[in-house]
Amino acid sequence: MAEPPLNDAELIARVVVHDDRHAFSELVRRHQSAVRTTLRRLTAGNHALADDLAQETFMLAYRNLKSFRQEARFSTWLYRIATNAFLADARKRKEELLGDRDSDVADDDDSDAVIFDSAGPDPTRATTLRVDMDRALAVLSEGERAAIVQCYHNDLSHEEAAQVLNCPVGTVKTHILRAKQKLKARLAAWAPE
Amino acid sequence: MIDRPLNRTDAGDDWLDSLLRADGREHRAAYVDDAGFTARLMAALPAPATLPAWRKPALALLWAAAGVAIAVALPGAVTDVSREVLRVILGQPVSFTGIAAAVAALGTATWAAAAIALRND
Repeated sequence: MAEPPLNDAELIARVVVHDDRHAFSELVRRHQSAVRTTLRRLTAGNHALADDLAQETFMLAYRNLKSFRQEARFSTWLYRIATNAFLADARKRKEELLGDRDSDVADDDDSDAVIFDSAGPDPTRATTLRVDMDRALAVLSEGERAAIVQCYHNDLSHEEAAQVLNCPVGTVKTHILRAKQKLKARLAAWAPE
Repeated sequence: MIDRPLNRTDAGDDWLDSLLRADGREHRAAYVDDAGFTARLMAALPAPATLPAWRKPALALLWAAAGVAIAVALPGAVTDVSREVLRVILGQPVSFTGIAAAVAALGTATWAAAAIALRND
């Protein structure tokens, strides 16, 4: 009889106690999609950069797994590492990122594109919205974009987002308020008549 | 999706909120194919720290050598200490329960050491 799949906590214990590489690869397989889609959003659609940051995220997670206290979900902990990796990288290449932002979105390689759930009402609308949203998110500051991605895309509460972003809840709320003011202008075409 | 009260810039922002929620739903429903990502990551991890098989015997030998070195470096100290310990022990009234407790303690220590050694292997 096949054994039931281990949960995240059991896999983490195996990695920490026995340095079980197979258990870690299972954790990566489970969470790679969520981490990569989040980073694709944070990088405003730059898939190559998002995957580099995702790799960095999992490497850091592997090195620091012993410090994971299981107080939050493992996915929340990964979002925190991913967001920190993104913010650190953004600080380093801020000028380069500002210059190439539009071309990154336009030249985006969709060979391994996101596969949308076919249950959605209108895939064409969803795809158009995704492209427009990527462009609109690109005008936000890194902090504003991170707050929007955590609250709307990863469906975290303000408190959870504050934990991921390592800032007070009030800062998250301010980021969202400012981000929505900017997005309102950029996404005006989507406003009802 | 659990609708949480998010801040709004003004009452006319409902469409933007709906748009962000719709985009968020698409985001969560999306799945990025692994396409070798996990394999590449696992290959990039540092090699596991495997301890060489000769480590334990070598350590035991080093400890033994250190013990002999100390005994040689302090001539007379070992015999003096042993003689004093023996004198103290013999000076005390020894009961059967005392001997049994000593044997039990020694046995427990031995088994505990063996268990730790086996667990590390």
